[in-house]
Amino acid sequence: MCFKNLPIDFDAAGNASLRPGVANPYAYVETPAPTPIEEDQERMRQLVERNGSIRRVDFDPITRVAGALAFHTVVDLENREVLETASMATLFRGYEIILQGRDPRDAIFISSRACGVCGGVHATASALACEMCFGIHPPPMGVVARNLLLSVEYLYDHPIHLSLLAAPDFSEQAVRETNPEIWARAEQTRTRGRAVHGYEYMSELMTDLTPLTGKLYLEGLHYTRVAREAYVLIGGKYPHPQTVVPGGVSTTIDTSDLNEIMLRVAKYFDYGRKTVAIWNDICDFFYEVNPKYKDIGTRPANMIDPGQWDDPYAFDGTYANADAWGRRRWAPPGVTVDGELVTTSLQMLNAGVEEFVEHSFYEEWAGNGQGNENYKFPTDPAGNPLSPWHPWNKVTIPKPTGTNWKDKYSWSTAPRWDRLAMETGAYSRIWVAAQTGPQNYRESRFLHSTGNSMQIDLPKADLPNDPIEWRIPETWGAFERNRARAYCILFTAGIAYDNLLLAYDLLRKGGPDAKMSTPYKVPKDFRMGVGLWGAGRGYLTHHMTIDKGVIENYQILTPSTFTASPKDPFGNPGPYEEAVMATPLLENYEKPEDFKGIDVLRAIRSFDPCMPCTTHMHTGNGRTVSRDIVSCACGAEGNHAH
Amino acid sequence: MRVLVGGVGYRFLRDGALGVYMSDRLSARAGNGVEVEDLGYHPVGFTQNLQDRPVYDRIVLVAAIERGREPGTVKAYRWDHALPPVKEIQERVSEAVTGTISLDNLLIVTEAFGAFPDDVRVVEVEPADESWGEGFSPVVEEKLAEIEEAVWSLTKP
Repeated sequence: MCFKNLPIDFDAAGNASLRPGVANPYAYVETPAPTPIEEDQERMRQLVERNGSIRRVDFDPITRVAGALAFHTVVDLENREVLETASMATLFRGYEIILQGRDPRDAIFISSRACGVCGGVHATASALACEMCFGIHPPPMGVVARNLLLSVEYLYDHPIHLSLLAAPDFSEQAVRETNPEIWARAEQTRTRGRAVHGYEYMSELMTDLTPLTGKLYLEGLHYTRVAREAYVLIGGKYPHPQTVVPGGVSTTIDTSDLNEIMLRVAKYFDYGRKTVAIWNDICDFFYEVNPKYKDIGTRPANMIDPGQWDDPYAFDGTYANADAWGRRRWAPPGVTVDGELVTTSLQMLNAGVEEFVEHSFYEEWAGNGQGNENYKFPTDPAGNPLSPWHPWNKVTIPKPTGTNWKDKYSWSTAPRWDRLAMETGAYSRIWVAAQTGPQNYRESRFLHSTGNSMQIDLPKADLPNDPIEWRIPETWGAFERNRARAYCILFTAGIAYDNLLLAYDLLRKGGPDAKMSTPYKVPKDFRMGVGLWGAGRGYLTHHMTIDKGVIENYQILTPSTFTASPKDPFGNPGPYEEAVMATPLLENYEKPEDFKGIDVLRAIRSFDPCMPCTTHMHTGNGRTVSRDIVSCACGAEGNHAH
Repeated sequence: MRVLVGGVGYRFLRDGALGVYMSDRLSARAGNGVEVEDLGYHPVGFTQNLQDRPVYDRIVLVAAIERGREPGTVKAYRWDHALPPVKEIQERVSEAVTGTISLDNLLIVTEAFGAFPDDVRVVEVEPADESWGEGFSPVVEEKLAEIEEAVWSLTKP
C-alpha cells in the first residue's frame, strides 16, 4: 500500500500490521554522512586544482526568515553549482519540556506562544489534541468558527510571505544587483496580466516589489491588516487567540460579526486574482529569460499535509474516525511521493512519521537506531504500528554540542515519512486537494478538484471574473512554490466564504448546532491524543499523552522542522539542503567577491521558512546557544562549544 | 492624558519575560487614562493596532534587553526616535511579520510606519538569564518592585 520503506504490511481489508518474521522491524544501520569538503583534504586539493572558485558561503542568519536559520554551503563558482549544504536551526525550542506536568488546557495558551504569527494554529492543534483526549468535539458552529479563524490567519500569512519575504528577491533592486541583464530585458518585456494587475512592463512590476516603498510591498502589508481585523472578531486578539478552547470557541458570533468578516474576506477575491497574475508574470518571465530558473530549489515533489478546515457535520474528534473526517476537510490530508498521492488516510499519515536526531543536538531516546523493543506505544489507538521514533514515543533530551557537518549541527530534528524527506507548505495542501479528484473531494461552492488541478470559482468583485485554475506543475521548484502560494490566497478565500455561508445558515436555524462549544471534564485516567491541523506554511501536529489530569508528554512537530531538517540516518538531506544542492547558480558575477547567493536564497525562501518555534535560547552546562554562532569553519577546525 | 504601558517580550523565557510579566502586574493598576497591554506579539500588528486607536499622549515600554551591561541594570529614558538605515528597517519589518518580538524591533518598526506619538518612554533591564522556564534570575527578581515603580512613575504627567 502506501509504505515502501517502513516494515508495515496491509491485509485485504486495508488494515496495517508489522511485517511478520522481522525481529526488530524499525531498526536501522546509520549511513555515515559524507565527510565535509573542508575536512577532506584530498578532495579539496583536487577541487582547488581544477579551479580556484571553490568557496564556502554561509548565510547566517538567513534574513527575511524569522527566528534562527543559518545555512552552510560550499559552491563552485566556475561551474555554477552547489557542492555541499547544511541547514541549521540554531536555537532550541523547549515547549515540550515546559508543558510536562501541566493541565492539558494550558497547552492551548502556552503553545500559541511558539510563534508570533501562527498562534492560532498552535492553539487549535492543542485544542484538537485535548478534544481527542477528553472524548469531545465542538458543535457544528464551533467547527465553522474555528475554520473561519484559521482561514483568515492564512489570509494574513500568504501575503506576508509573497509580498514581504519572497518578492524582494525579484524586485528591481535585487535584480539590478544580481542580474542586470535581466533588468534590461524586463524593461522591454510586456506583462501578460496587465488587465488584472495594471502593470504594462515587467520592470514596472518589479519596481513595485521594492521593500518599504514599492506599492505591492505596501499593499501586502495592508492585507495583513485586513485579515487581522477579521481574525480578532473571533479570536479576540491576534496572534494569540483568547477564545480557542477544547470543544470549540469561547465566544459568540452574530450576524453582524459575520458581516464584518465577510466584508474583509471578499477583499481577497480581487487581491488574490491580482497576486496570482503577478506571480504568473514573475514565473513566466524568468522561465523565458532562462529555462534553468525552473531548477532553482528543485527536488522531488515529496509532500505531507495533515489537512485543515473540518466538515462541521463529519468531525467527531476521535482517532478511530480520523480517516473519515479527515477526508471531509476542505484541505484533505495527504502524502505525495514523486508528485503522486500515496495516501489520504490521516492514520497512515500519522503512523508513517518518525523523528531522527543523529544530526541534531538531542540525545537519541530509542536505542541508537536499534529501536528498543520495549518502547511505550508500539501501536496507535487504532492498532496501527508505530515506530520507536514516532512523536508519541519521542522524548525530548537536549544535548548541545559542537557543530560539525558530519555529526550534529542543528536544533531541528529530521522528521521523515516512510523514511523520506518531506516538504510542506501552502502548496502541499492545494496539491493534495487537486489530486484528490472530483470523486473524492468534498462538495464546495467555489472549489473543484479535477485530479490534476484546482479550479477556483469565486464570486465576482471588481476585476473580471475569469476562470482561475492552479495546475500541478511539471517541474517542482522555488518559482512554483511561490506561484502555488499565490493561488492559495484564492483557495483559502473560497474556503472562508464557504464557511461564512454555513455560519449564516447555522445562525438562522439556531438550536444545538449553533452553539459554539461543548462542555467537558478533564479525565483523570490515561489518554492519548493528537491535533492534526496544518499551519499557514504547512504541516503541524501536536501529540499529547495525559495521565492523572496532567500532561505526561507533549510533542510539537512544525512545518519548518520538516523543511529545515538536517540529514537523516539514511544519508538523505533535508528539503532545504536537497533543494539548494540542485540549484544552478544563475547569478551574474564576474569575481567571486561579487557573489551574493540570490539563487540559493530564492530556493530557501520559497519554502516560507519560519523559525519562531525555535526562537528561544537554551542554556545548559555553562554553554549558551546564541543566534550568531555558526560563521566559522567548524568542520575544518574541529568541534567546539558554542 | 492617555498613556499606554506596553510590556515587550516572550513568556517562559525567565528574565526575557520581564516585559509581559510587568504588563500582567500593572494591568491591575490600569485606569484613569492609563491602559496596559501585553506586547508579546509582533510589532507590525502593534503598529496597526496603534493606527486604529486615538493617538496616545505617551507610550511607556518595558522590556529586558541584552546590551552587555551589568545584569539587573535598569535604565529609563525618553526615546529619540532615531532609525537605522533603510536596509536594516526592511530586515526588522521582515522579522516582525514573521513573529519576532523584541524591544528594538518594536521601536524601529513602529517608528518606521509613523505610529508612535512624540513622547515614548522606555524602561529596559539587562537580563541575566533568558533560558527556558518560569521565574526570574535572582538579580532581576530583587529589582521587580523597583522596575514596576519606575514604569508606573512614567505614566504621570
